[in-house]
Amino acid sequence: MFIGAIGCEPLQLARVHLDKSASLDVYRANGGYEALKKVLSGMSPDDVINEVKKSALRGRGGAGFPTGMKWSFVPKDSPKPKYVVCNADESEPGTFKDRYLMERDPHMLIEGMLIAAYALGAKVNYIYTRGEYRYLIDIMDVALAEARAAGLLGEKILDSNFSAEIYTHTGAGAYICGEETALLSSLEGMRGHPRMKPPFPAVSGLYASPTVVNNVETLTAVPDIIKMGGEAYQKLGTEKSGGTKLWSVSGHVKRPGVYELPMGYDDMEKFIMEDCGGMLNGKKLKAVIPGGSSVYIMRADQIIGKDVRMDYEGLVAGGSSVGSGGFIVMDESVDIFESTKNLTEFYKHESCGWCTPCREGTDWLVKVFKRVANGGGRLEDVQLLLDLCDNIEGKSFCPLGDAAAWPIQSAIKRFPEDFKKHLVGTNGKQQLIDV
Amino acid sequence: MSQQLTNIQPRSQPVDIGDEVASFSPEVEAEIEDHLSKYPVKRSAILPLMFIVQRERGYLDPPGVAYLANRLGLRITDIWEVATFYSMLHTKPVGKYHIQICKTLSCKIMGEPGITEHVCSRLGIRPGETTADGKFTVSLVECLGSCGTAPMFQIGFDYHENLTTGKVDQILDSLK
Amino acid sequence: MSTEVIKVTINGKEFDVPKGARLIDVCRDKAFDIPSFCYYADLALQASCRMCLVRIEKMPKLQTSCTIICTDGMVVTTQSDEIEKAQRSMLEFLLANHPLDCPVCDRGGECELQEMTFDWGGLEERFTEKKNYQPERYLSPIVANDPQRCILCKRCTRVCDEWMGEDAIEAGGRGANTVIGTYGGWLDCSQCGNCIEVCPTGTLLDGTYRHQARPWELTQTISTCTYCSDGCQMSLGSRGDELMRIVARDRYVNGLNGEFLCIKGRFGHPFVNHEARIRTPLIRYKKGGKLIPATWDDAIRHAAQKLDKIAEAHGPNSVGIIGSPRITNEANYLLYKFGTELVGTTNLTTTDAFSLKPFFANLGGALATHRDIRYAKTILLIGGEPEELQPLTGKQVRQAVRNGGAKLIVVNSTPIRLIEQSAQFIHIAPGTENAFVLALADKSNSSGPAKCGIEGEQLHTLRETIEDTSGDVIIMFGSELNAAAQAVVAQLPHSLAADTRRVLLHPLPLYNNSVGAHDMGMMDAELTPGQMLDAAGESIRAIYIAGSFLPAHLRGREEALGKLDFLVVQELFETDTTAFADVVLPAASFAEIDGTFTNNDGFVQRVRQSIPPVNQAKPDWMITAQLAAELGMNFGFEMSASAVFKEIAERVPGYAGLRYPLLKDETSPVQARYKVAESRKLSDELKSLQQLVDALPEPGEKISVTPRVGHELFEIGTLTDKVPQFHLLAAGNPRPETVRVSPLYQITVDANLQREVVVAGD
Ligand SMILES: Cc1cc2nc3c(=O)[nH]c(=O)nc-3n(C[C@H](O)[C@H](O)[C@H](O)COP(=O)(O)O)c2cc1C
Ligand code: SF4
Ligand code: FES
Repeated sequence: MFIGAIGCEPLQLARVHLDKSASLDVYRANGGYEALKKVLSGMSPDDVINEVKKSALRGRGGAGFPTGMKWSFVPKDSPKPKYVVCNADESEPGTFKDRYLMERDPHMLIEGMLIAAYALGAKVNYIYTRGEYRYLIDIMDVALAEARAAGLLGEKILDSNFSAEIYTHTGAGAYICGEETALLSSLEGMRGHPRMKPPFPAVSGLYASPTVVNNVETLTAVPDIIKMGGEAYQKLGTEKSGGTKLWSVSGHVKRPGVYELPMGYDDMEKFIMEDCGGMLNGKKLKAVIPGGSSVYIMRADQIIGKDVRMDYEGLVAGGSSVGSGGFIVMDESVDIFESTKNLTEFYKHESCGWCTPCREGTDWLVKVFKRVANGGGRLEDVQLLLDLCDNIEGKSFCPLGDAAAWPIQSAIKRFPEDFKKHLVGTNGKQQLIDV
Repeated sequence: MSQQLTNIQPRSQPVDIGDEVASFSPEVEAEIEDHLSKYPVKRSAILPLMFIVQRERGYLDPPGVAYLANRLGLRITDIWEVATFYSMLHTKPVGKYHIQICKTLSCKIMGEPGITEHVCSRLGIRPGETTADGKFTVSLVECLGSCGTAPMFQIGFDYHENLTTGKVDQILDSLK
Repeated sequence: MSTEVIKVTINGKEFDVPKGARLIDVCRDKAFDIPSFCYYADLALQASCRMCLVRIEKMPKLQTSCTIICTDGMVVTTQSDEIEKAQRSMLEFLLANHPLDCPVCDRGGECELQEMTFDWGGLEERFTEKKNYQPERYLSPIVANDPQRCILCKRCTRVCDEWMGEDAIEAGGRGANTVIGTYGGWLDCSQCGNCIEVCPTGTLLDGTYRHQARPWELTQTISTCTYCSDGCQMSLGSRGDELMRIVARDRYVNGLNGEFLCIKGRFGHPFVNHEARIRTPLIRYKKGGKLIPATWDDAIRHAAQKLDKIAEAHGPNSVGIIGSPRITNEANYLLYKFGTELVGTTNLTTTDAFSLKPFFANLGGALATHRDIRYAKTILLIGGEPEELQPLTGKQVRQAVRNGGAKLIVVNSTPIRLIEQSAQFIHIAPGTENAFVLALADKSNSSGPAKCGIEGEQLHTLRETIEDTSGDVIIMFGSELNAAAQAVVAQLPHSLAADTRRVLLHPLPLYNNSVGAHDMGMMDAELTPGQMLDAAGESIRAIYIAGSFLPAHLRGREEALGKLDFLVVQELFETDTTAFADVVLPAASFAEIDGTFTNNDGFVQRVRQSIPPVNQAKPDWMITAQLAAELGMNFGFEMSASAVFKEIAERVPGYAGLRYPLLKDETSPVQARYKVAESRKLSDELKSLQQLVDALPEPGEKISVTPRVGHELFEIGTLTDKVPQFHLLAAGNPRPETVRVSPLYQITVDANLQREVVVAGD
């Protein structure tokens, strides 16, 4: 599996190839904890937040919310303790970047979290890792112990008067716990149900205290931002989305893997056909889900010769979005009806059951997909699917409902023939839907 | 036994389940203490502790659940509501080797069906079942974050990636 | 909520609404109907049913009006195609896996899901797939459960947690497999049944009323509970002359308790139509002989003549009249009138030893209402255990703390469950409640705290908490307090109140009309019931008693009644008291009569006839009137309880001006006007308390165990004895081998309290 940078100097992936890259020594030998030093020697929390603002760093967890702004929402004067929580629940189908960041370069995450903790005045901080990633938790624990031993964690870090602790926490198998408020419920030992917003975590999060939840990749970007300065970092990418972004590439390409690209990398076609080694066994490209299962699926002809720019704006223009950067490539052998069924089953399995439309809607959708797959398709089923999606979208308690609807809506719109062929009506005629 | 367990006691009192409460070695107790010490609120440690109980007792059996309730000062019902929410927590016994095959899109299109087929025919069980000797359980699970190295499965906590039927045979043999 | 007013536009009309108002409430208040399932005022917000969607300008997507606080200039649309479609689709989703078995569902006819579907649902059903199946089951002898009907509004889990503080029922599983239940599937809690009450569908059901009647067959009668002194308002559902069930569902009744009831109020009613009810008047013609059925005329004549003779021979005071804190004001008043005006005896008392006289005589402030309790800032509880003995008060206290941030100070010799909510728990030695009152009233006193086994520091903290309070301070006390201590507590408001702080009092007597019995004068006793028993056969030759002795320490002393020349008893059932009676007169239960009870808020609330008197029973007050008539005094009330009440209102100062029509509306109960006593030196009381303290032993072991839920609630009394389920609970709520009892089966108990499962009908 490939792991490296294309079209830019590796930042996040700068050390992943080194031997013992997870160890403190290797990390320090390669500029590790320099940023922390810089911060602790003379930068004020506000300076840090401003640098992050200038960097135009946007959340890598999926929502793409400007990180600096998120940090500035935390009330400075609040008497309550503040928390930085790292979202390492990475469960979005097609996404596996955080995994390699933590496996190969855990100290980068620790340094990022410490800088965030300093900027926000957080003493206790947690890394919420999905339960299946147990071996990553072990790696993180080792790294944390190293850091503690080296005076990089705990009381009076690097002999400054800044003290902070970081603990690992394990999930137990629930995609919804990636949603930041559900994650906090889970971290408090509750069922992983999302919470009402407002209040937003920045005001009332973990234990009803100001909390910032950030994705792994977001936090690991922070040290470089501090080192090279916000502007420089932003310039690596575009004006609105600064820096570099990791893409987890899977499916029918010769070289799947984790790719670090500058934001605004000019052409998705080139990315697939050259950087990723092109299509597996010379088959034809059929579809791409560029941002993890929760985004619109794209047709080959929306990519080939279309110069789709790979950043937030570019992908929206191209008919999808960045999401978590889970880049799933499918060749002509894939039946989009089947792939959509597969994802719908995922969302049904992961719906937390809190709200009506998602709980009942995904259950119903799956039942329809199964019936159709078993040859029980009816002429009106496509309309039914679309209508059910419409009834879920925008009405669910948290975005998981929407996430379940979008793949289906886009798949039916963009691959009608794959649905048509399953929908031989009772009269033996093919269902004709206009899209 | 389970009758005693369902006696819901006031929070201010430990759940009384007589001799039916699990107990652990000093090492494990120390491990548990360590987890509890991470959080300002005991209840936060519920997931880590459940994994420990599961590791020690195979699954969240009634005495284990009773232990958790006492240790965390919660009601039995609180343990139950959490345990049944998360897919990695088992309130029923599972095989010694829990083979969790990822069935989500990337693995699906990269050959998961063949792998599942092979594993099941070798063990003579269907997904969701446990072999008669209680050694193997096969489950189809959702994305485990190995899409780039599909197809894959996880046995216990161990990742096995880029699977081929040959590789599967090796792995299963090594577990025999 | 502040008084500031802001402007909100709903469907084009502009309204002034108080700042901080919740949008869903405002819309409904302005007559724009909004459907909802999970929204339930005064419970934590849920926003999960997604029924209450509205469109708000400048906001993305539809918004759930249950979560929106109105802001100035907000522009809202509650009716549009978009919104209608959303509401229709939510109902379609809810009905997808919901079995369409309304014809056999106990809730059919009063089911919110049915109603919503009629009002907001679509016409066609598009869901043609297989429904997820879950078997029916019992969660306890009292709670039946059909999980498949559940729409997961989680009202049940929230009332269980927020109202009851028990958290006994929860949601398990995830996604479409989420199901309400408990570990091991057996519900061991106080069995209040509030989860059943608030359930909008037929998911949680009254196991005692399973498949017995359809709602529309029932006549609903609003009345007052006959168990504890909280005086919950309830709706009696009767069919013909049978009382089928009791609910507090807001569609029928909306009293001080909202939809809250406890196990006794909700499930304790089967005694009403029980076959053991006394059928006819009974006469024992010679001591030691049998009680023999008689006509009313004979029984009344016999009783009247005997009482008359004895009064002749030994003087009026040889006749004792014992009223009851269980019967109506009307009944107690007539007993008082009978005793004072006709017999001329001063020996009047009640069947409960706890007399509120010293409390009311020294009342230094207003009585707290249950609403006051809910919004109090500080609550001081001395003795008592409201959670078991006055459950509504218990609930209000819990909510005051949990939802209102009130400070609760518990003073008790046992660590009762309420200490979970308490800011301070003063753990006193057993039997030192009175000593504590002394210590509280008199700062300088040192022996008080010592004997209670507490530090002066604790009292200091307590006083500080009260002095730092702005808002209501509520002082509650249980029946452990003696006369002197009651007087002292009653006077506390004079010393503790300030202009920023009201100090309200809340006595915790045990019975539904303890306060009324006091108001009617039955507690101005020369003799306590205990003394009256001692005097039986000596100075007291005859007793006319309504009901039987209630408190444990009097029960078992009935033998003394054997020494009497003559005993007349009005009762529902044969008891240890009727065992010595010469005449037994069958009385009508609360469900069969009109009248009033006065609760511990001082609310005078109506009791209404739901079914005709069982067998030959008569209302207590009528029986007394008949006896009086037989003795030549016509009270002249004819058949009308309201006439009796009119006279009460003329004679009892606190009730002046009250009439039944004024008490008509249970939603705004009327409080009796009790005279507030001047502040006075309590030297006598304090002295007597001091003597009592000196007599106390040094504090020994304190009680460390928190009693189990239900230790008082499940106790078998004369009335609850008639309900099989109570026996199961009293026997420790054993879990059946299989918790999946099909609804075809009923849980029954045989004589040895063994649960056996039998097919209904064979
Ligand atoms: C259903 C759902 C699942 C999510 N899963 C993840 C996840 O696995 N990892 C993650 O970092 N963010 C996830 N998110 C996004 C988080 O809610 C949150 O936006 C993010 O952690 C914020 O961090 P960021 O600002 O650094 O992106 C998810 C959101 C939703 C609605
Ligand atoms: S949309 Fe509703 S049911 Fe689905 S995950 Fe979010 S809250 Fe849970
Ligand atoms: S009432 Fe608002 S979501 Fe249920």
